[in-house]
Amino acid sequence: MSEIEEAPRGDGGAPVAVDHDAEHRSAVPMPVARFDDPHLGDAARHPRRTEVIIALFLIVGIAGVAAFGGAFVENASTQVLAVSFGVGLFGLGFGLTAWGKYLMPRGPFEEARHELRNSDSDRQAMAAALVERTGVVVKRRRVLGGLLGTGFGIFGVVAAFPLLRSLGPVPGKTLFVTDWRKGSLLVDVNGRPVHKDDLQPGGLLTVFPNGFENTDNGQAVDQTVLIRLQSSGNIVTMRGRENWGPDGFVAYSKVCTHLGCPVGLYERQLELLVCPCHQSMFKVRDGAVPTFGPAPRPLPQLPLTIDPDGYLRAQAGYNQPVGPGFWERTTPAWENTSPR
Amino acid sequence: MNTFVKPRTQREARAARGRYGRVQQIVDELDDRLGIAKGGRTFLDKIFPDHWSFMLGEIALYSFIILVATGIFLTLYFVPSQTVVVYHGVYKPLDGMRVSEAYASSIDLSFAVRAGLLMRQMHHWAADIFVGAIVVHMARIFFTGAFRKPRELNWTIGVLLLILAIFNGFLGYSLPDDLISGTGIRIAYSILLSIPFVGSYLAVWLFGGNFPGHIIIERFYILHVLILPIIIAALIGAHLTLLVRQKHTQFPGKGRTEHNVVGSPMYPTFMAKTTGFLLMVTGVIAVMGGLFQINPIWQFGPYQADKISYAVQPDMYMGWLDGALRIMPSWEWVGFGHTLPWEVFLPAVIFPGLIFNLCLVWPAFERLFTKDQSIHQLLDRPRDRPKRTAAGAAMLALIFMVFCASSTDVLANFFHLSLNAVLWFFRIAVVVVPIIAGWVTWRICLEMQHGGTAIGRRKRAMVISRTAEGEYVGVTAEQRPGDEGEELEPLPVPRQIEVEPPARLGAAGEPVGASTGVDGGNGAGVRRVPR
Amino acid sequence: MLARLLRHRMVLPAALVAGVGVAGALSVAVGAGAQGSSSPVQTTTTTTTTTAPGSSVTSTTTGGANANSVAGSAQAGKPTGGTQTLRGSNGRACKAPTYGVGPANSGTPRSSIRRCSGGQLVAYGNKAILYQIPSQASGQPPSQRYLAAGESLFEQNCSSCHGPAAAGSAAAPNLVGVGPATVELWVTTGLMPAQTPLSVQAPPKPPRLSDAQAAEIAAWINSLDPAAPYVPKVNLKGANLADGASLFALNCAACHTITGAGDALAYGTFAPNLHKPTPTQIASAIRTGPINMPVFSGNLSDSQVRDIVAYVSEKIQHPTNNGGFGLGGVGPVAEGFVALLVGVGGLVLVCYWIGERA
Repeated sequence: MSEIEEAPRGDGGAPVAVDHDAEHRSAVPMPVARFDDPHLGDAARHPRRTEVIIALFLIVGIAGVAAFGGAFVENASTQVLAVSFGVGLFGLGFGLTAWGKYLMPRGPFEEARHELRNSDSDRQAMAAALVERTGVVVKRRRVLGGLLGTGFGIFGVVAAFPLLRSLGPVPGKTLFVTDWRKGSLLVDVNGRPVHKDDLQPGGLLTVFPNGFENTDNGQAVDQTVLIRLQSSGNIVTMRGRENWGPDGFVAYSKVCTHLGCPVGLYERQLELLVCPCHQSMFKVRDGAVPTFGPAPRPLPQLPLTIDPDGYLRAQAGYNQPVGPGFWERTTPAWENTSPR
Repeated sequence: MNTFVKPRTQREARAARGRYGRVQQIVDELDDRLGIAKGGRTFLDKIFPDHWSFMLGEIALYSFIILVATGIFLTLYFVPSQTVVVYHGVYKPLDGMRVSEAYASSIDLSFAVRAGLLMRQMHHWAADIFVGAIVVHMARIFFTGAFRKPRELNWTIGVLLLILAIFNGFLGYSLPDDLISGTGIRIAYSILLSIPFVGSYLAVWLFGGNFPGHIIIERFYILHVLILPIIIAALIGAHLTLLVRQKHTQFPGKGRTEHNVVGSPMYPTFMAKTTGFLLMVTGVIAVMGGLFQINPIWQFGPYQADKISYAVQPDMYMGWLDGALRIMPSWEWVGFGHTLPWEVFLPAVIFPGLIFNLCLVWPAFERLFTKDQSIHQLLDRPRDRPKRTAAGAAMLALIFMVFCASSTDVLANFFHLSLNAVLWFFRIAVVVVPIIAGWVTWRICLEMQHGGTAIGRRKRAMVISRTAEGEYVGVTAEQRPGDEGEELEPLPVPRQIEVEPPARLGAAGEPVGASTGVDGGNGAGVRRVPR
Repeated sequence: MLARLLRHRMVLPAALVAGVGVAGALSVAVGAGAQGSSSPVQTTTTTTTTTAPGSSVTSTTTGGANANSVAGSAQAGKPTGGTQTLRGSNGRACKAPTYGVGPANSGTPRSSIRRCSGGQLVAYGNKAILYQIPSQASGQPPSQRYLAAGESLFEQNCSSCHGPAAAGSAAAPNLVGVGPATVELWVTTGLMPAQTPLSVQAPPKPPRLSDAQAAEIAAWINSLDPAAPYVPKVNLKGANLADGASLFALNCAACHTITGAGDALAYGTFAPNLHKPTPTQIASAIRTGPINMPVFSGNLSDSQVRDIVAYVSEKIQHPTNNGGFGLGGVGPVAEGFVALLVGVGGLVLVCYWIGERA
């Protein structure tokens, strides 16, 4: 049963003014503490030594903060700025905290925890408010409620459309293709075509298809690592790739198949490409097969050829998407090849 | 006062104001308009328990304030754009290099803006400390059981704050677009790609195309300075509001029950201590910001997708994910026309999801396990709940092991070991060490329970003696004489305080003007030496 | 019964020891196994060009991934071997070692400057780098006394592993035809004489022979079969630091880290810290590719190498550490530990002071 206070009514039913002052004279507890009460600590006294120590820290703080101002005006080094600012603030903070800890009422004082919960009748009244009024509305207006709910539901879904779909294009083929084509000329980062005599055995070079060395896509997706393993002879990394590695050259996609970091770390004697991010290790002579670490697939190999002038060209693009795996990636890892 | 009589002298004016003078006047005026007197007094009397571990959350709160303050400074200079410009600024070794505007403005901040490097480094250190403090605070809440009813919602808000802090930190250190953080963005793109069904769409939509795109730094920027900070600030506000409403928990002790809060009052003690602490946190971060170099982006160079450095771990609050990615074996599913890269999806998406969800459901899980539905205002000592403490220790050990696993190459280099061997060590350690840590913690808790040290200000020593057979036995020492009075009975906050007058010796050599008795409550509470 | 056993007070120490022992044994076993493992590499090599005597092209392949073989490093700079006749800057002809073909001014005798003396090519290069044969006076071929001194030093310090005629043995590779830059690099950095010839990678240590002695040994070995590259002398004036930084990031940072701090590579190999080497040593390493380092010859011009060397000498070895103590240059790993221990730890100590203990 709720207790609702009704406004007092005089004759004739009109509400009359109530003297509220009586309520304002509330019963506030009026405890008094002696100055030597241990609960106050030193709050009501003047312990000289504590005050002097706190004052010293505050003076250091003032000096520090002022020094920071001066250092700033003089364009001092970062270290001077930081130490002055930091020591100054720390001094002020230490002084203030020490003041609070040693010279202010420290207690222990208590306050009562009033139960958070309200009375059972209050709880029932709230539940009743929700249920009764909603019941009146919804029970009778099912169709309207359903329509409104459907509207909000559909709005909730389509509201996400501009938030998500407008952000960018659909992936389409962008994850599947690179700019390497049949006959693409290999160039280095400065756009210089790579001649077969430019690389000694044991050499390593980052290459791009001609014209793409300065584009974002070129650097991120087309990037290829060219390695010369020996001075002559075909390098056959897998069955079916007999002419992919002329004159000791092999080329692999530089985009790691784990998480896309450039695999720029080549160990010449071990003939191992190591990805610097999570240390996947790829054997260069075996088609960049991962032998350690989290990479799941070999680095795609770029089939090379040497044109009549001696420059290195691609026979074709990569035979599979480069880089990390994703849901739509369908090309089996060992397409066009099988381990020897 | 209903009738107004203009006072003629200063003394009359002073008398007219009443005992508390101008302050009373101000309080009266504000109360007329806002009704603040009663609530204000309750606020000033508010009690904060004093235990040192209750201040850990303040470290996080104050480092957040420093983040906002230094962050505002940085936003006045930083240009969040990937447009390529040729650098011709103060730092000569980069002169003529093609860099993004984001990188160029960050370099300018570091070298050309006065105190810019200090602000940048303070901001970065504060971010690390922010997340570290949240974790330490969260551990305290967990081990003392402060997340139990009625505070489960506050725990949930706290876990959400941890997730947002970590994510905002990642966005923040990616903004300068340097070589190391750009590599992190590439990895984030690939992690998005690994999500089944929607991964490629999410990645390409977020980046506006294939990696790297032209827009990701701008999107990270607005997320980092506006969207996430607003959510974090709102959650912090809710966190503190709940704390005020539900009042703080406390350890059991003398005079402490489930129905009171014992400690020091808000005004002046707690306000002084906490404001002083804010200044000290700022001071420490300032000193670190100038003496310890962090993220020297001018040494890294701008990000270009064909360049990479070794030892490219992310910042420490993301390091545990990097470690998980390193130790994961290369299991990838290919079949039925699709690829599911488990070697990415499991450690980078499922693993953190499991950890955070475990944190979120822990209060419910514990309620289920212990069948405890009652309200708790008093805290547990960790040793009194050995299973919970052991579980928490195991979890911390797991996260720490995974975090250490992200520095396999640095550890291998430092200790001159084989990189492969170090990685295998961590693959095993990540499983074995949490089990050992949990079991050892459980045993230690049981041992400490038997020790029975008393709760109180003064810990009692444990005397360890050895029996003839060689067994060690611990017995709590006797309470020292004079320690009985250490614990005071808690009192309500006093309304009036007698102030000791400055000590003066009278003719007889006795102090003059000392108060002689307790005030009845209606006289002059402040005694002064008569002039 | 089992419960009682588990409660025995020796269970914990025994479990700890067992756990540490198992983990340690496993790590050692896996590490050792990983080092030795390498699938035999079969290449169908159809050799069409004649290989010079001493150049062991096949040794790099059939040796597989055995990191012990320095043969690859030794022979990498000598794909075809032999000598050729070149014209010096003064118009006179002299004998010079053949060293690849490659573009001009990329570390081979095909350079803008060529100095002949006594019928022998004693220096080549350009304004950026001058490659010189080690001798008692620059511009002259090494005298007989100089070579004899080198031979004697070699006999005392190196022949026990490399054989009396530097032809190699089971423990050490053939040094004939490696070129003076390689020898001088290895000896002046202290890698050689090796401490333990059978370690995975010769560990860094203080050099045991002086620079002059290293030059004499290099001259003598070169006299057995002249080879390039000669010892580079880098002219740092006019270097472009921005280009150097960019080239360093593309070619070097993947192993040595972007701050040159060095790091651990696969199977117990290491990329060393770059804070100590001299410009000559850096240029030699770039051109000869020691141990597991790739050979950057032909694909980097001399001025590009000069830019990289200048960047390393100036910005890697004397980094701009405006922000304070550099924390070792290893990046976020060290920063994380400092943030947790100094930052959070220090502030927790402050909390411990402010608050109560109970």
